[in-house]
Amino acid sequence: MIADGHYEDIAESALKVAGKDSDYAEVYLEDDSAFSFAIEQGMLNGSASAKKLGMRIRLIRDGCLYTISTNRVDKGSIKELVSRFRIFKGKKTSLSDEKRVNADYTVKEKKSVDDESMLKSLLEIDKLMSSIKYIAFRGVYGGYDLSSTYFANTEGSVVRSRIPIVNAFVNFIVKDKDTRQRFMQFGGSGGYEVFKVSDIEKRISEEAKNIHSLLEKGRELSSTELSKIRNVVISPEISGIAVHESVGHPNEADRVFGREAAQAGESYINKDNLGMRIGSDAVTIIDDPTIKNSYGYFEYDDEGVKARPKVIVDKGIQNELLVNREFAYDMGIKSNASARSSAYLYEPIVRMSNTYLKPGSSSLDELIEEAGNGIYIKSFTEWNIDDTRSFARYQGNEAYIIRRGSIEEPVKNYKLEVKTLDFWKAVSAVGKDFALYLGECGKGEPMQGVPVTMGGGSALLKFG
Amino acid sequence: MRGDAEMIVRLAEKDFDEAVANVHNYSTTYVKIANSKIDSVVEIHDASADLFLSSKKRVFFTNIEKLNKDEVLSRIKKAGRAINSIKPKEDYFGIAEGNFKYARSSYDKKLINYSNDIAIKIAEDAISGAMKSGADKIAGMVSVGSIKSQLATSKGISNESSSSFIRLSLRAFRGNIPFQSIIAAKSLNKINAEKFGSDVGRFPSEVREKKRLSGGTYDIIYMPQPAGLLLENVNSMACIGSIENGSYLANRIGKEVANEGLSIYDDGLLAEGINSSPYDAEGYPTQRTPIIKDGILRSYLHNFSTAKKYKTKSTGNAGLVMPSPNTMVLEHKEKLKDLETLISETRKGILITNTWYTRFSNYLTGEFSTVPRDMAVYIENGELKFAIGSTESSFVGIRISDNMLRMLKSITTTAGSTVQTSSWDAGNDYYFVPNVFVEKVKVTTA
Repeated sequence: MIADGHYEDIAESALKVAGKDSDYAEVYLEDDSAFSFAIEQGMLNGSASAKKLGMRIRLIRDGCLYTISTNRVDKGSIKELVSRFRIFKGKKTSLSDEKRVNADYTVKEKKSVDDESMLKSLLEIDKLMSSIKYIAFRGVYGGYDLSSTYFANTEGSVVRSRIPIVNAFVNFIVKDKDTRQRFMQFGGSGGYEVFKVSDIEKRISEEAKNIHSLLEKGRELSSTELSKIRNVVISPEISGIAVHESVGHPNEADRVFGREAAQAGESYINKDNLGMRIGSDAVTIIDDPTIKNSYGYFEYDDEGVKARPKVIVDKGIQNELLVNREFAYDMGIKSNASARSSAYLYEPIVRMSNTYLKPGSSSLDELIEEAGNGIYIKSFTEWNIDDTRSFARYQGNEAYIIRRGSIEEPVKNYKLEVKTLDFWKAVSAVGKDFALYLGECGKGEPMQGVPVTMGGGSALLKFG
Repeated sequence: MRGDAEMIVRLAEKDFDEAVANVHNYSTTYVKIANSKIDSVVEIHDASADLFLSSKKRVFFTNIEKLNKDEVLSRIKKAGRAINSIKPKEDYFGIAEGNFKYARSSYDKKLINYSNDIAIKIAEDAISGAMKSGADKIAGMVSVGSIKSQLATSKGISNESSSSFIRLSLRAFRGNIPFQSIIAAKSLNKINAEKFGSDVGRFPSEVREKKRLSGGTYDIIYMPQPAGLLLENVNSMACIGSIENGSYLANRIGKEVANEGLSIYDDGLLAEGINSSPYDAEGYPTQRTPIIKDGILRSYLHNFSTAKKYKTKSTGNAGLVMPSPNTMVLEHKEKLKDLETLISETRKGILITNTWYTRFSNYLTGEFSTVPRDMAVYIENGELKFAIGSTESSFVGIRISDNMLRMLKSITTTAGSTVQTSSWDAGNDYYFVPNVFVEKVKVTTA
């Protein structure tokens, strides 16, 4: 799959060098080509291309887990780097037994992407934004990345992949008496079939119009009004950020068992409360890397394990942690293929992919009607969460009053500040609508940002 | 390696008006600490060249990994084809030119070709220090590394520099009260890992009782790590790209934006600064730039081109298309001796030891909130009363909501010496900050 077979030969040789005297070794070779553009206020402020080829070697010797990465992909350099290995007193790492695989998969682009056409598309989006009079600042940042990888380990597994990703990030400021910023991301794995300019323009137009209306007509609620709010309807965008931050992350095994304690943090889940109730019976949350053309797509993880959907929460009950081979071994189970690295440079760690709240059977209208009086949060701006993911805030960008079962006037700066378990236990119904939103998820040290999506159905939350 | 950068520029200037080649060769070893043990070791080695090219106001970046002539020529030809298809950047005014004098860069020779034994020993010492001081659990990361850099430009600039660094991040737990701190230095002899481990391990022991705190308005003492993480945003928002794109500092030059005692600098020349360098990404000498001086907004941060656009001088902050900050330094006219003195003078406040997830709802107005991540302690009448535990299963369970301009005006004093620190969220950014006192901050809880 990697254009020059010469590098696979070096990888195989590296595997022999690393595997000698080791309990386990693997090599991961990545050939990555990318281009990107930055357009601000109609000006092409940045154009860039990059081509990277490098190798990561991971080995376990006397229980010591050791990862080396380099872009000096030649036999001499590899041998020299492997010789830097040192035994240390510490954790004795072992990996779960997994099925040997020999796989080769590729994401085909139905409509191919090149730099000229990508720039043209981004300029079209910029032009659309320039025509919206109340947009005071606009920025479009987009590009294409083609990653081809070769994975092999001393257990005989070999996986080759080829995944193209196209995506764009849009930032605009709507100005009236007040200002609002909006950040949006579009794209997926594949070609132009996952990057439809007309759809992007439609969403930008609608959102800009709604935000302008919010600035013109919106008001902040008084503390008395806020204290009376019991029912909140959230859109798939809010479901998504809540699913990702307050359920996906705390179900990552490396957080649960303390490996990320000084980095991405810990979890309200621990070895003693596995299987705890997280939400109501209406809440089922799934992480699925195998969604075709998604931004978080993969068929095999970065340890060569076959990917599958994982039901993290099943009808409100914590069901399955996200695990890699290390934590699968520690727990006495099989890996569920959650090991990812953002590039060959970094170690593969436990990550999410496409995480969502499983849709239910209600329409949005039915959720609003059922809410009666309350708030509908359609999109968010500021959000954050604590170390164990127990306590989050989601501030509405677009939010509306629900009165007598109807969506009415816009509300400014509504903040849903809530304990995680209270949030998910309040879910009384989930909508049949479904949408996934793109994001870059950061974790590890050095920080690794991996492409993910998050979303699901709308939901009605009833707070007692 | 100097020859590599010059060779790239020589080849590129045949086809382009301007070329800048930055060649980097870096090595870093990361020793991860988890559950009071060394967990694993990661080594990263990377060598490549960043190449900036311009032709008739069209600008283009590319990255070259194989630094042989054929590969470089191939990439330059490809860039030539790409640049012809893009639009001119009308507000681009060229790369730095001039006869510059540079400060000397400093580094630790022992770290230029370091062995992994050094990083492993630091981790062992840090764990030992923390556990001996009574921590129940310790986690962290030791990073040791070196960077060799070379820069050449088509305006005749050619430079080489080396740098080295050690970063030690530790998080100690006593029960469910964690405390995290980070130290960093360029030289091995500036880090005493056992003592730092002991200091971090001891810190949470001062307050063992945990209680709920109601939301309200409190004075806040930010220790250097959270103070730096919050206030380095000033340097980012002072970059001219941010000013053009939406910043709470826009249109405020010459105006009072902070407490009259407060000064915030961007400094590329700090002797111990991990990110210090004698020159920026286009070879312009770095400097110490007052962004806020005695409460007044004095300067935005520029590269050579943006400085020309705004008829001013470069501040040595290239980024070639858009400037970027060097290192934030915070100073205040009001300085108390140490943290203990500041605590003793606080009537009703909170000691914040670490925050994360600082998120802005509006960069134009500066509204943000941030979440205390590690031990936060309620202070009453000059005494530490209890560790805050306001939400079940959360380590702290409170949130701070503020506005950057309000915060800057409410920093009435600082305490203790300035330290170089960072944060997990900040990645490779470092700042030099003392303990910072902010009056009347809104705190919420669930």
